[in-house]
Amino acid sequence: MSDLDEAIAQLRACRLIPETQVRELCYKARELLIEEGNVVSVDAPVTICGDIHGQFHDLMELFRVGGDVPDTNYLFMGDFVDRGFYSLESFLLLLCLKVRYPDRMTLIRGNHESRQITTVYGFYDECIRKYGSANVWRYCCEVFDYLALGALVLGASSELEPSVSNMESTQAMMPIDDGELETEVLNSKGEVTVSTYRRRQRSSSNTSTDSRNISPPRDISAAPGNSSQAPLRSGAPGTGASGSGSGSYGNTSRTGAVLCVHGGLSPAIESVDKIRLIDRKQEVPHEGPMCDLLWSDPDEIEGWGLSPRGAGFLFGGDIVKGFNHTNDLSLVARAHQLVMEGYKEMFDGGIVTVWSAPNYCYRCGNVAAIMELGEDTSNGGMVARNNGEYGRSNGILMGSSSVESSVVSPGRRYRVFEAAAQDTRGMPAKKPVADYFL
Amino acid sequence: MSAPQIPNLNSLRKRGAPGRLRSRGGGVGPDASSASKDRVVQNTDNDASVSRLSAVQLGYIEDRFAQPLTPAGLETRRFPIINRGTYVRTTAIDCLVSQFVESYTEQHAKKQIISLGAGTDTRVFRLFSSTTPRSDLVYHEIDFPANTATKIKAIHSSPALQGALRNASSPGVPNDIEISDTGDALHSPRYHIHPLDLRLLSKSTPDPIPTLQDIDPALPTLLISECCLIYLPPDQADSVVHHFTTTIFPPTTPLGLIIYEPIRPDDPFGRIMVSNLATRGIHLQTLNKYASLETQRRRLQEQGFQGGQAAADIDFIWERWVSEEEKERVAGLEMLDEMEEWKLLAGHYCVAWGWRGEVFDCWGDVQEQE
Repeated sequence: MSDLDEAIAQLRACRLIPETQVRELCYKARELLIEEGNVVSVDAPVTICGDIHGQFHDLMELFRVGGDVPDTNYLFMGDFVDRGFYSLESFLLLLCLKVRYPDRMTLIRGNHESRQITTVYGFYDECIRKYGSANVWRYCCEVFDYLALGALVLGASSELEPSVSNMESTQAMMPIDDGELETEVLNSKGEVTVSTYRRRQRSSSNTSTDSRNISPPRDISAAPGNSSQAPLRSGAPGTGASGSGSGSYGNTSRTGAVLCVHGGLSPAIESVDKIRLIDRKQEVPHEGPMCDLLWSDPDEIEGWGLSPRGAGFLFGGDIVKGFNHTNDLSLVARAHQLVMEGYKEMFDGGIVTVWSAPNYCYRCGNVAAIMELGEDTSNGGMVARNNGEYGRSNGILMGSSSVESSVVSPGRRYRVFEAAAQDTRGMPAKKPVADYFL
Repeated sequence: MSAPQIPNLNSLRKRGAPGRLRSRGGGVGPDASSASKDRVVQNTDNDASVSRLSAVQLGYIEDRFAQPLTPAGLETRRFPIINRGTYVRTTAIDCLVSQFVESYTEQHAKKQIISLGAGTDTRVFRLFSSTTPRSDLVYHEIDFPANTATKIKAIHSSPALQGALRNASSPGVPNDIEISDTGDALHSPRYHIHPLDLRLLSKSTPDPIPTLQDIDPALPTLLISECCLIYLPPDQADSVVHHFTTTIFPPTTPLGLIIYEPIRPDDPFGRIMVSNLATRGIHLQTLNKYASLETQRRRLQEQGFQGGQAAADIDFIWERWVSEEEKERVAGLEMLDEMEEWKLLAGHYCVAWGWRGEVFDCWGDVQEQE
C-alpha cells in the first residue's frame, strides 16, 4: 500500500511512475474492475465529473474545487485521455486512486478509452514519447476494456445540503421542492463568487445557467428567488412543484436513480438491465449498444437521428423521457460534448451534460463543471434501491401527475471552475501550443 | 468541500510570473525587435505548410507539391479538426479561384493572380499543372525576401515544381526562368516571385513605393490574402489594398479580392485564440477592426469592390459548399469526434470575397452567409 501512496504522491506532482509499476497498477486495476458489473451502483453523495482529456493541471483544479479523494466520492464519466498533454499522468493518477480507494472512486468508459481513437488523438503518441515504447499504452488499453459502461447513483437527496461556504446563507432554509439546482461559480482563487439557487424549472426545456457574468466578486448568498434569471414558479398542476413548500415532505426519499453514461442512450437499449447483458470486455465496437452508450448525443429532435460523429445516434427529448420513466430514473447524466458553460440540462432536466475540461484543448475558452448529488438522509440513511420495479402501476400509464411525482429529481449542485494557470511554479507544465490556421 | 492542501495554481501565478515575461527585450534595439516580430510572422507559413502536408497525406486534398514545399523535418500529423479546416480553407479558395480563372469573356482572355504573403503556397503549381493548363494566366506572389528565397530554393531542388512551371511556359522557349543574384526573386513568362515587404506598398512609408515588375495593369486581376493582411496594422493593411485598387490598377480593370482570416475575437474562443497566438508573438492586427462577416463585407465595399461583397465562415462553407457526397468522403478519412469544437474553430475563420468588373460576375452565384 505504501508503494501505491508513493505513486499517488508522485503522480500528483505530475511525475510519471516507472513502467514496471504501471504494469502492476494496471493488473490490480483490472482485477478490481472485472468484479464490477457493466452498470456500477454508487451511493450518494457523489460528485459526477465529465471529460478530462489529459488536462492534468485542470484535474488538480477539479480536486481542489470538489474536494480531495477520499474525502469526496467521485464518479468520472470517461474520456480521461487524448487531446491534452498529460493523458498518462491524469489517467494513471485516477487509476491509482481507484485501486487505493475503490469505493470512493468510480471510473466508467468514454469513447476515447479505445485503441483506435487513442492512436489518432494523442494518447498513443504520448505513451511512446514518455515511455519509449507502446507497452504502457497496451497496459492502459487492457484496463480500458474492463471499465464499466455506466453507473447508477442511488439515494440522492432532493434536498441540497448547504455547501460549506454557504452554511450561513438563507438557502438552507428553502422549502424543499421538486429538486433543487444550485450553481456555484468559483473564481481563480477558489472563492465562490456567484451562487445561484433555484427550484427546478420544469417549464424550461433547456436550462443552462450562465451566471458567470454576474459581476464577481460579490456576496455569495444570492437570496433564493430574487435572481432575475431564475424566477420561482408557483408550480403547475402535475409537476409536483405546486404549492410553496408544503408538499415536499415524503417526497425526498423517492428520488429516482441517476444513470451515468459517457455518451447517451441507444435504440437497442430500452432498459438499464439491458446494459447489464452486454459483453463489455472488448475494444469499443463501431456500432451496436455498447458503441451507442459511449458515442450518442441528445439533440432537439424527436426520436432517433443519425450522428454527425459517424458513431452512435442522436436522441430527442421523447426518448429521454420514455427511458427515464421506464427505468424510474430522475436524470441521465452524461459527458461527451463540450459545453461552454460547463454543464447543460436539457429536456425538462431529464438529461444533463457535464463537461470537466476547462479551456478544452487549451483553446476553446470554456469553463468546466462538476455536479454534486447529496445524500438522502430522510430515511435514516437507508437507500431505497428502487431501480426497476418501484412506483409504477402494471404497465398502464397513470395520469401524468402521479407518474411524475413518483420520481423526484435530485438536488444538484454544479461547481463551475476555470482552467488552472499553465505557467505555475512547482508544476512543470509545458507551455501548450494550440493549433490554429495561420 | 474544497481541499486546502491542493495548491491553488492560479493564486500562485498571480504572485509570481509577471517579471519573467517582461524581463526580455531590454537592450534590444527597435529594429532588431521588429525584425524578430517579422520573423514570427514569416514562420506562420511553416504552420500552414505543415498543416497542408498533413491534410494531403491523409487524403483530404490532392496536392503533390505540398511535400517539396514543406521544410524537411517538420512533417507532423495534425489532429482531424485541423485537417478538416485545412481542407475547407483550401477548397473554398480553390472554388473562387477556379471560377475566376474559368470565366470567359472575349475581351479578357488573359488574366492575372496576385497572391499576397504567398509563402510556400502551392496554388500556382496546381493551377499550372492541372488537366486544363491555364495558358492565359499570369501568377504573381509577393512575400518577405526570406520567404521567397526559401521557396525559390525549394523550386531549385524539386523536379516536380520545375515540371509544373515548364508546363506553364511557352513551348519551345527553354530556360526562360530567371532568378535574381540574391536568389529571392523569380521571373518567368507566367510566374513571378517578388521579394517585397508588403508594408512598403502602403503610403505610410516615406520611401517611394516600389514597382512590381511585369504586373499588367490592364488584365483582370484576382488578389488573394490568405492569412496575410491581418498581420499588418489596420491602416497599412487598408493602404496596401488601396495601392492595388487605385494606384496599380485603373478603375476600369476588373479586380477581385479573396480574404481568408480569423474573425470573432470577442467570444471566449476568440479571446483565447488572441492570447494563445500572442504568447507565440503573433498579433492579428486587423482582427478587431474586421471582426465579423458584416465588417468584412463593409471593408470590401469601402475598398472599392463595388461589384459585390460577400463572406461566409468556414463552418458555413463546410455545411453549404461541400456536397453531401464529398462530405461523406472527407468524414470517412478520419473520425472527427469533436463536433462542438469543430463548430467553434470553424466559426472563427472566414472567407470574404469582393469584386468589380463583369469578369467576376460568376462570383455572384456563390452562396454567402447572412
